[in-house]
Amino acid sequence: MDALLVSKLFTQIGPSGFLEGLGITLYHTVVSAAFAYLFGLPLGILLCVTEKGGIRPIVWLNKIVGFLVNILRSIPFIILMVALIPAARAVVGTSIGNEAMIFMLIVAATPYVARMVESSVKEVDKGVIEAARAMGTGTMGIICKVLLPEAKPSLIVGAVISTVTIVGYSAMAGTIAGGGLGAIAVTKARTSNAQDVIWLCVALIVILVQVIQEVGMYLAKRLDKRNCRRKKRKINIEKSI
Amino acid sequence: MIELSHIRKVYPSANGEIVALEDIDLSIPDGAVFGIIGLSGAGKSTLVRCINLLERPTAGRVLIDGEDLMKVKKKRLLEIRRGIGMIFQNFNLLGQRTVEANVRFPLEIAHVPRAEAKERIAKLLELVGIADKAKAYPSELSGGQKQRVAIARALALNPKYLLCDEATSALDPNTTAAILSLLKTVNRTLGVTIVVITHEMKVVESICTDVAVIDKSRIAEQGKVEEVFAFPRSEIAKELIIPNLIRSIESAGGKKFRLVFNGEEADMPIVSALAMECGAAVNILYADTKNIDGKTYGHMVISLPSEEKEETVKRFLTQKNVVFKEEL
Repeated sequence: MDALLVSKLFTQIGPSGFLEGLGITLYHTVVSAAFAYLFGLPLGILLCVTEKGGIRPIVWLNKIVGFLVNILRSIPFIILMVALIPAARAVVGTSIGNEAMIFMLIVAATPYVARMVESSVKEVDKGVIEAARAMGTGTMGIICKVLLPEAKPSLIVGAVISTVTIVGYSAMAGTIAGGGLGAIAVTKARTSNAQDVIWLCVALIVILVQVIQEVGMYLAKRLDKRNCRRKKRKINIEKSI
Repeated sequence: MIELSHIRKVYPSANGEIVALEDIDLSIPDGAVFGIIGLSGAGKSTLVRCINLLERPTAGRVLIDGEDLMKVKKKRLLEIRRGIGMIFQNFNLLGQRTVEANVRFPLEIAHVPRAEAKERIAKLLELVGIADKAKAYPSELSGGQKQRVAIARALALNPKYLLCDEATSALDPNTTAAILSLLKTVNRTLGVTIVVITHEMKVVESICTDVAVIDKSRIAEQGKVEEVFAFPRSEIAKELIIPNLIRSIESAGGKKFRLVFNGEEADMPIVSALAMECGAAVNILYADTKNIDGKTYGHMVISLPSEEKEETVKRFLTQKNVVFKEEL
């Protein structure tokens, strides 16, 4: 009976194997997302600030960075990954394993993050920026004290979307470079056609994404001071009922 | 003193240039409440932004206390801007900062020590009457309260000048009156020179000492408020002072007079006195007067159906010190 329902591979991997896979996926995601933001956040700000009509227009720089970001963004990740094998060897010394995989994820996610940050920062009310300029605020002051704090809720939403995308990428990268749930599902389970293993990996990834999504959205809402009034009203209405 | 000379501002566009300002000359004396009035699209918002160089004029000179802003270095420009407060139609508060943190913003930018800043914030919030909302976020405030916060923020660095860009246009009449009276207090008690941009004559009337009327990118007329208000020379000034003056005058017969009240004839029922003492029947064609602190401000247009009483009425008005003008 058991043999029919549970594949050999499933028992072979066992609970600790799946947990380890989940751990590796999580590790890849967190480390890559952190680095992607380390590079992508300044790039996104640069894209927004230096554009025509921005607070410090430097159009040529904007065009160049925008072009590079677009190129990287337009290469499908699965192809980019293969193309990055020599680069990974040069930078981290190997084209397989966790380091190589994280390197590829960072390269793929950074331009994505840059565009996410750019669009969040662009949402900041132009009037507020103008008020800050009128108060004698310089470019760095506007970035640090106006753009980033005012865009915070939107930046968090962007980070959630980026991180979920990185989870997806990490599953793909797992197939050629490293471990994690993607590697288990694709390389191990496909060859032995262990459907149960594949579906458990899918379920674990879905849960992971859900957790990231919910926690992120909760934070974004919690930290947004623009809906104080609505919240208060809601409470008042509840009280009156 | 703020002096603008030969200011020209041109925006490039797909179909050639758009001229926003042309040959603007203005000098705003210290201590004044200077109104700049015009219809939308006249260029008044661009003009006020030329004063602190939020918009850089295409040509001309902007002198603040004798210093030409067009020639100063960027760092110096930022310093000068800290001495010129500005408030806006949409308040432009930082939505993620509390009221006190909004007022703290310019103090942070100017590196004012924390303790000193704290003291200053408390005083400012007291001045604008919103001390109880220090910990609130802008989204919890009404429009009038937001503008009070914006005024406190604009005054944080003890500016010599305050620029108001349609500061009351998003507010209801009662709130507008309260904000205008606050601005008046700021002008009188702190000696801040105020520049008011508006499309509403009643704003100019109630707080300004001087006014410039701007139309089609140029200054059509300027002078003391009482003078411009009583005897507008340009078509645009007439249009702004009495939106339908021309129509109301054309549609009625008889001799017409425009009476202007500048706060003198307080409790005198002038029209009925005129009718009784001169024995003249009077039609009121237009009236827009209001009572501020027991004084009458505004104007009315009357017509005399019979021409024979004309001289009597003139004599009566002169005798009662009513500023009047014969129309058409």
